Amino acid sequence: MRSFGSLAFRQVRARRLRSLLTIAGIVLGVAMILGVLLLTATIHRTFNDLFDSVYGRTDLVVSGVGGDGVRHSTLAEVRRTPGVEMAEGVVFSIFTLVDRSGAASSDAAQQLNVAGESARAAELADARTVAGRRPHHGLEVDLQRSWADANQIDLGDRVRLATPAGVKRLRVVGLFQFSSGLDFGGQGFATMPLGPARRVMDRPRVWDEVDLVVSGGEETISRVQDDLRHRLPEGVQVETPGQKSADVESQLQGFNAILYFFAAMALFVGGFLIFNSFNMTVFQRTREIGMLRTLGAGRWRITGSVLREAALLGVLGASIGLGLGVVLALGLIELMRTLDFPVGKLSFTPFAPVAALATGLITAVLGALYPARRAGRTSPIRAVLGTEGLRAKLRPRRAVAGAALIPPGLAGAFWLGAADETTTIVAAAGMLGTLAIFFGIAMVAPFVIRPLVRALSWPFRRLFPVEGRLAADAARSDPGRTAATATALMVGLALVVAVNSLGSSFLRTISDEFDRSFARDLTVQPHGFVPGQGPQQTIAKGLRDRLALIPEAKVVARERFLFTTDLPGSPKKKGSDGLLLGFDPAQYEQVDQTDVEGGSRAQVFARMERGWVTIGRGWADETGLGVGDPITLRGPSGTRRTRVAGVVDTVVFGGQTVSMSLSTMRGAYGVTADSELALKATSAAARPTLRRRVERIVNRDYPNLAVLSNEELKSKVEDQVNQQFGIFYAIVGVAIFASLFGIVNTLTMSVIERTREIGVLRALGASRWQVRRSIADESLVIGLIGALLGIAVGTGLGYALLEGLSSGIPGVEYRPPLSTMVYVGLAGIVLGLVASILPARRAARLDVIRAISYE
Amino acid sequence: MDGTPALQTHELTKVYGEGETAVHALDGVSLGIERGEMAAIMGPSGSGKSTLLHLLGALDSPSSGQIMLAGRRYDGLGDGELTRLRREKIGFVFQFFNLLPSLTAEENVLLPALIAGRRDEEMRRRTRELLGRVGLAERAGHLPGELSGGEQQRVSIARALLTEPEIVLADEPTGNLDTRSSGDVLLLLRELNESEGQTLVVVSHDPAVAATAGRVVFLRDGRLAGEVAGGSTDRVVRALAELDPQAT
Repeated sequence: MRSFGSLAFRQVRARRLRSLLTIAGIVLGVAMILGVLLLTATIHRTFNDLFDSVYGRTDLVVSGVGGDGVRHSTLAEVRRTPGVEMAEGVVFSIFTLVDRSGAASSDAAQQLNVAGESARAAELADARTVAGRRPHHGLEVDLQRSWADANQIDLGDRVRLATPAGVKRLRVVGLFQFSSGLDFGGQGFATMPLGPARRVMDRPRVWDEVDLVVSGGEETISRVQDDLRHRLPEGVQVETPGQKSADVESQLQGFNAILYFFAAMALFVGGFLIFNSFNMTVFQRTREIGMLRTLGAGRWRITGSVLREAALLGVLGASIGLGLGVVLALGLIELMRTLDFPVGKLSFTPFAPVAALATGLITAVLGALYPARRAGRTSPIRAVLGTEGLRAKLRPRRAVAGAALIPPGLAGAFWLGAADETTTIVAAAGMLGTLAIFFGIAMVAPFVIRPLVRALSWPFRRLFPVEGRLAADAARSDPGRTAATATALMVGLALVVAVNSLGSSFLRTISDEFDRSFARDLTVQPHGFVPGQGPQQTIAKGLRDRLALIPEAKVVARERFLFTTDLPGSPKKKGSDGLLLGFDPAQYEQVDQTDVEGGSRAQVFARMERGWVTIGRGWADETGLGVGDPITLRGPSGTRRTRVAGVVDTVVFGGQTVSMSLSTMRGAYGVTADSELALKATSAAARPTLRRRVERIVNRDYPNLAVLSNEELKSKVEDQVNQQFGIFYAIVGVAIFASLFGIVNTLTMSVIERTREIGVLRALGASRWQVRRSIADESLVIGLIGALLGIAVGTGLGYALLEGLSSGIPGVEYRPPLSTMVYVGLAGIVLGLVASILPARRAARLDVIRAISYE
Repeated sequence: MDGTPALQTHELTKVYGEGETAVHALDGVSLGIERGEMAAIMGPSGSGKSTLLHLLGALDSPSSGQIMLAGRRYDGLGDGELTRLRREKIGFVFQFFNLLPSLTAEENVLLPALIAGRRDEEMRRRTRELLGRVGLAERAGHLPGELSGGEQQRVSIARALLTEPEIVLADEPTGNLDTRSSGDVLLLLRELNESEGQTLVVVSHDPAVAATAGRVVFLRDGRLAGEVAGGSTDRVVRALAELDPQAT
């Protein structure tokens, strides 16, 4: 050893296993941070590529708010505007590839984003034809080459695609490539000539977008932008591709914030494990540190040495974590793709690994801060006394401080739930709140450990008096250690319970609403339908009338959905996301029984026929609008002043909805395609026949559509929600996995401390199996405490979040996720058992002779 | 009772390491301990007396040679069988008492029964009886930390007797005690041997302790180096001096 400073290095080398167990948390935490950073960077890159590719030379994009169409005359209006050099209109749709058997799946890799445009519009994109030519007439397409390759489509092939006008055969006349090499989560891009596109897309008189180039630089762009905003209807937005891309980014901000939140929790667990491990190591090294003190090492040298060791472990763990992070990022990207979220190939930013490394290092040092200080305070007399009488006394003050942290923590979580949008500040408050709760519990936990151990170990003590008793005593002997170990496990399990209580409360509420309000028997909708932003798959134009001819069909009601960023009625001009619903009131009344305030259902529906609108309860509460109040619809096709016909008790889209008749919707928003059809049979007995007949038509001619009973619709919504939560569970799973190492670490420590005791037991005739069981019992007790705390804290956290949420979405009620609680309890048992495998084996294999002469 | 000795070893050998570096900790020891005998094993450190005790106690297996308890060989048995043997036939008394700090005196005595899975009233009765026998009936509910060294060792003697073992092995039983407590403990061991016929093997380097036994066996460099009758400390000291003239 060359200097005192290198003592830290020696310590790490001398205790390889301990060091590895200690850094496991940092490894996984850093991996998660990097994984999430890379994921968000990749998402960012995907959308940047998209906008770069699609908009190439485009300076400004004119479109309806939320992506719906603009009036046909808009193009002429734009062309008349001074400074506009070139402007082209485009229509969009999503087609689905139909395979040889005539089936279409909801898989993203079979989705094709098709643009119908004039030949000149091609100049505006950043694409290059690599084979064949551009389509110019009839049912011709050119395809993005990577998509064609992935689906084994060659130049000259005729591909079968499900379109809004039914299944069509389109001839592939060209293949192109974006210069960015865009990978949009497997989805493909294609263009078609404008005329045929309008027919197959059923977009006869609108433009989904008008793209334009100005003659001049930045100044001209902003002048033309201002000019256009004045000339065009209020519901039309004029943006640069950069602003459009920023819009998408801000939509993703909330999602990103939640991802960071979970990644931070994983890292928190990592820091906690460092804390616990160093606490144990410092305690174990008391005599040695005392000796160093007698040799004249000052407090700061000791503290510094421990911190150096932590820094070393932090760097080591973070470095390993970086490698693992890339793997995790790939996994997360795969997960996102299965959720039909378009994510391209993993893209690196230099910032991500640096940030991940730094967080890992900082977390490790922060975690070791308290143990390091404690080490520095070790008195030189400890060289003689060792750890005798050193077990930290529990300081009630700490429990009080811990308990005091919990209410503000819950308040932070409440705020996170209540906020309209998950902005960075709100997410930070939620994160701090959650951390406060966890810290609080960690400080209170040592005080409840003894009674908890007593209660939880009761069955073990009954079953195995010796092993159970010893295990319980070991768990109780250092409540601080047991508490810290269990708390680390608690974090992950609590998050599972909290997230799940959100999900299940929400699902139950929706499911209850379905039960209450559905008078329909069947729903026809595109596969993988989720109302949201951007172009949506729609239902072929003639289908509704075809289905209405079935004798068993009493009602076939159209439903049209439009996601908007400017829900009417907001006192703020922009920024309120919501869902616009359109239906024929007379028909819809027969398939829907949702409670409406503002008169009888017949009255309300009659008002809607006259152009009035109904609003969701959540939106009514937020805007203060009531029945009869004036409300203005600002759509790209026109602005309409009308009144509120009623307030609907719905939790769909959080109650952020405005419903109107089909003609009102067409007039203001230009929506002409059906999103969903709701069917009612003539009688209950006719239902099976109706379903069979509908399925025959849909399966033969519209393979991109699904026919769902109410039960199936419910379970589909359930699956979608669960899938969306899947990514959070994946991240939380990593935190739980990390805490497993924490238990192993603590048990290993416990085995070392109990070496002599184990030796005596063995000498007195205890079998290896009995020794093993004693360690397993301690592990089980820790696991169960972690699970119990997790259930308790998760319930509190979930309740606070949900109470916050329901302040914005009336009608959502908290429901304890009972089955998840049971699973979490079982997880505690399984984790406890798994964690004990190695330490228990080690204990069972201790050399008896050495163990009894061990000091 | 038949005439087989309680313990019998034949050419017992224990070698640590291999080839050039091999150390013969025990080198062909043949020794018999009769039923009801109290024997002491003496020798300087490194003489192999601890190794011999570990082999006798079924804590370790010999490299070669035979070892028998009540006529049954147990050299070469597996861990499971050795464990069972320790549990049923052998009692241990350690230098550092080795009581479990979280158990009361009574629970510590009862421990071997609990390990064996016996929780009957019979064992509890015997525990109380033994505590009375070692003079600690009043202290049954105390934790080891609340007992003196001598008291702790007496608890550990009671523990060793609980399962009525064939033999009790004591490793430096007074090595960690003051003179008075040492006397009490030695007296107790002697009484157990004389009035109850408990077979006892005591390992010590203290002539006074060894002299308590009826027979003192000397060990040197892993071999038997002679033996004398116990009873007199002087005789033991003289025998030691003859064995190793430089030491005195």
